Amino acid sequence: MQSNRVLTISRAMAEAIGQEMKRDERVFVMGEDIATYGGIFGATTGLLDEFGEERVRDTPISETGFIGAGVGAAMAGMRPIVELMFVDFYGVCMDAISNLAAKNIYFSGGNCTVPMVLMTATGGGYNDAGQHSQALHATFAHLPGMKVVAPSNAYDAKGLMISAIRDDSPVIFMFHKGLQGLAWMDWPETAAAVVPEDAYEIPFGKANVLREGKDVTIVALSMMVHRAMEAAGELAKEGVDAEVIDLRTLVPLDRETVIASVKKTGRLIVVDEDYSSYGMTAEIIASIAEEDPAMLKAPPKRIAYPDIPVPYSRPMENFALPDAQKIMAAARAMLPRVAA
Amino acid sequence: MSEVRIPDGLWDTGRIPEAIVANWFYADGSDVTEGATIAEVMAEKTSYDIGAPDSGRLTILVPKDGVVTPGTVIGRIEPA
Repeated sequence: MQSNRVLTISRAMAEAIGQEMKRDERVFVMGEDIATYGGIFGATTGLLDEFGEERVRDTPISETGFIGAGVGAAMAGMRPIVELMFVDFYGVCMDAISNLAAKNIYFSGGNCTVPMVLMTATGGGYNDAGQHSQALHATFAHLPGMKVVAPSNAYDAKGLMISAIRDDSPVIFMFHKGLQGLAWMDWPETAAAVVPEDAYEIPFGKANVLREGKDVTIVALSMMVHRAMEAAGELAKEGVDAEVIDLRTLVPLDRETVIASVKKTGRLIVVDEDYSSYGMTAEIIASIAEEDPAMLKAPPKRIAYPDIPVPYSRPMENFALPDAQKIMAAARAMLPRVAA
Repeated sequence: MSEVRIPDGLWDTGRIPEAIVANWFYADGSDVTEGATIAEVMAEKTSYDIGAPDSGRLTILVPKDGVVTPGTVIGRIEPA
């Protein structure tokens, strides 16, 4: 049956987790406020009522403890989904993530897999200041042993979550607070999508070409996909035909789709809400340079967060955040001027 | 024809007089099945699901972000 149900990302995530918990008794969820409250960004709403507190477990504020427990549970045969409430809190538990979850399969000579999903809220734009607003995609993508996904819409969120739960590697599932579809936070309507009732997987490492174009390639993920699509829509009115690529996953990274697109357009803009230096934007540009810099008709451009802590002040944060205007300005600067 | 109505007693109206429609999960004119979650209303920061009272074609009467109180008819469902 063709579904006509339009879900938000938070509901799509909760549905994916619930369906996998029904299918596989080894799957369970734990984290701060995920049970009684349903997850502060709605990713586990309704699961406590359905599965009970044995499988949907509220934890104390002790990330290093419960993420470490998740690693142990995964190595002992369970398939835990653990929520790190804000990705900004990574500092207190990176040992459990990067030194244990990501490395134990190597240290054990391949004998011990760590099939754990760590889901975590990213992103700013709602004035929550420097410890609750970072994207930090590259912090996880830079360290070996973890898969890293960051969906832009509800259809992808459900399929990527199911793939993450079924994957035998640790997967970091980075969801943007401003895309969750929560009533108390503004969100772009394009984040909601028709979501089939049945379970389905979306393979990792397969980018999605959301809009085809011939003049310039715009590569983005998570919230920035919506900013890129907004810019592409405006640029079309000026006669600029932009191609928009949603990476969907950072690790594995679909370089092929980006390369094929830039071969066609000759121009590249990479947009990321994470910090500019040493980030995803540079990685994508390096991929093109290593393939064949001659495919570029103009220097590539990265539009990312400046290398500063996220400011609390609304005008200051808005000034720092990548947006459609910045993407449009970059595109215009790359294209030959049309005689007026 | 069935009305999609905000039930009484979902939230404490003495403390929070009104709520808003936070989401519709089906577009206007969609076919819905009885019992499916079709909308979400939010009073302060608590959300409540609204189910379809019947199967049929949905007409949305109160759009997303519209203000509601107990008894408000937010939609209609007509036999498809």
